[in-house]
Amino acid sequence: MITSTNSLVKNTSYKIVIPFYLYAALSFLIAAVLLLSAAGAFTGHYFNPHILAVTHMMALGWGAMIILGASHQLVPVLIEEGLYSERLAYASLILAGTGIPLLAYGFYVFNMGWPAQWGAILVNAGLAAYLVNLTVSILKSRHENVHAVFVFTAVLWLLLTTLFGLLLVFNFTHSIFPKDSLYFLSLHAHMGIIGWFLLMVIGIGSRLIPMFLISKHTDAKTLWKVYYLINAGLGAFIFIFLFFPNGLLYALPSLLVAAGLALFGKYCRAAYRQRIRKQVDDQVKLSLLSVFMLAIPFASLLLIICFLIFNGRQLNLVLLYGFTIFFGWITAIILGMTFKTLPFIVWNKVYHQKAGLGKTPSPKDLFSDKIFRSMSIAYLSGFVLFSAGILCAEVAVLNVAAFLLLAAALLYNWNIFILLAHKPETK
Amino acid sequence: MNEITNNELKCTIALAALQHVDDPEIGLNVVDLGLIYQIDFDEPGHQIYVSMTLTTQFCPMGASISSAVKQALEQAFPGEQVNVNVVFDPPWNNTRISEEGQLFLNRR
Repeated sequence: MITSTNSLVKNTSYKIVIPFYLYAALSFLIAAVLLLSAAGAFTGHYFNPHILAVTHMMALGWGAMIILGASHQLVPVLIEEGLYSERLAYASLILAGTGIPLLAYGFYVFNMGWPAQWGAILVNAGLAAYLVNLTVSILKSRHENVHAVFVFTAVLWLLLTTLFGLLLVFNFTHSIFPKDSLYFLSLHAHMGIIGWFLLMVIGIGSRLIPMFLISKHTDAKTLWKVYYLINAGLGAFIFIFLFFPNGLLYALPSLLVAAGLALFGKYCRAAYRQRIRKQVDDQVKLSLLSVFMLAIPFASLLLIICFLIFNGRQLNLVLLYGFTIFFGWITAIILGMTFKTLPFIVWNKVYHQKAGLGKTPSPKDLFSDKIFRSMSIAYLSGFVLFSAGILCAEVAVLNVAAFLLLAAALLYNWNIFILLAHKPETK
Repeated sequence: MNEITNNELKCTIALAALQHVDDPEIGLNVVDLGLIYQIDFDEPGHQIYVSMTLTTQFCPMGASISSAVKQALEQAFPGEQVNVNVVFDPPWNNTRISEEGQLFLNRR
């Protein structure tokens, strides 16, 4: 028996989503240019104005903005309810979009006065607009699901991270905290990396990976376990950092998060094994590779903890940890997923009215596969080389690697341009 | 008897038209993918009723695919009103894929 429920959710307009993707693409390019100009700084201390500028451009301009854009499209689908407000979506784009370059400029020239302060205020205002939009959309929905809970919690952590970041910026000039901002850097960074990026990537990835593999695998129980393990790990980290800062104790939150990741890896493996489509395309391969790339920052973290216990801080390992998270895991997943999500948005825009009236190209025909492959090669070789350059503190290696990463960013932007400039064709 | 034959003929024409409507992600048409559950013709009212599903309830292409089904049938049956109803009960599963569809997916 067929039960009749015409339950298609209204898609968010491409006019909202595409500007986020464009903004992120340009941010990646700017971050790659900054990385090339500051590659030598990666042989010194991580608390360096240029490194801070690159990190914030990558974390906010690249990672956060593209995830915000994609989530405006995906969250309504996950919660089976339309987006509450398009105006709030534009507000978050404009506010955060203005704040990010100001903040990055403030760090680059190390002016913690008005550029960084106003930048941080605008970023927070933009994210608050996004949080309100998301919260009301979720409250309107009667369907609770684990993916939406991941996304909602991730955005809460993001706002906590940026609010804390705002206080850290003001702490440079107003002594808000009893200690300097450098002391709190790892707290700020982990709230963002684990609370925002990891929860968001798992929340959306656990829905998208089975969908793109055409796999019938669903296992909400495992995802809930992942959710509790990661949040418990982050909570434990914050508690230890604030009350019992001790190298050995940091192993506990690391193990909790590692257990969550192992379960997520198991979930991805099950989805992969139950896939109907046998061939996996390059975009999904790169995204799946990013899950394994997490092993590098994790190994660095364990080594950092070991050095903290026995020896003291190893600066190059801290740099490697940060680099492999932002230019490794986060970038790999975005490079892959951009060309799995954006072509659909563009296809919907161009062919929605023409579908069914003739043969239309498929979404994967809207960008160049050749450019995608060249970008992947430039990116992976640049990533490996830069990681090696950090470990051996060799400026020449860092420069060559940064050049390769810049080439990857240029190829990425070129392919985005091809995609967005696509004109309709029907046979 | 004559009416049943007519309906069968119309159904064959409809399925042939829908074999040109692909799921853009998978590249396989909606008929071989098993997305079409039922097609009914109301001749006096000039109405066609289609019950179809999607491979996943979370498919962001759902609106495009259902609108493509509507447009393909409107083109095949000019003057008829096409009503497409997307349902998720019973949910789609891979046993609904035709033999040709299975072969196509194994190749890709």
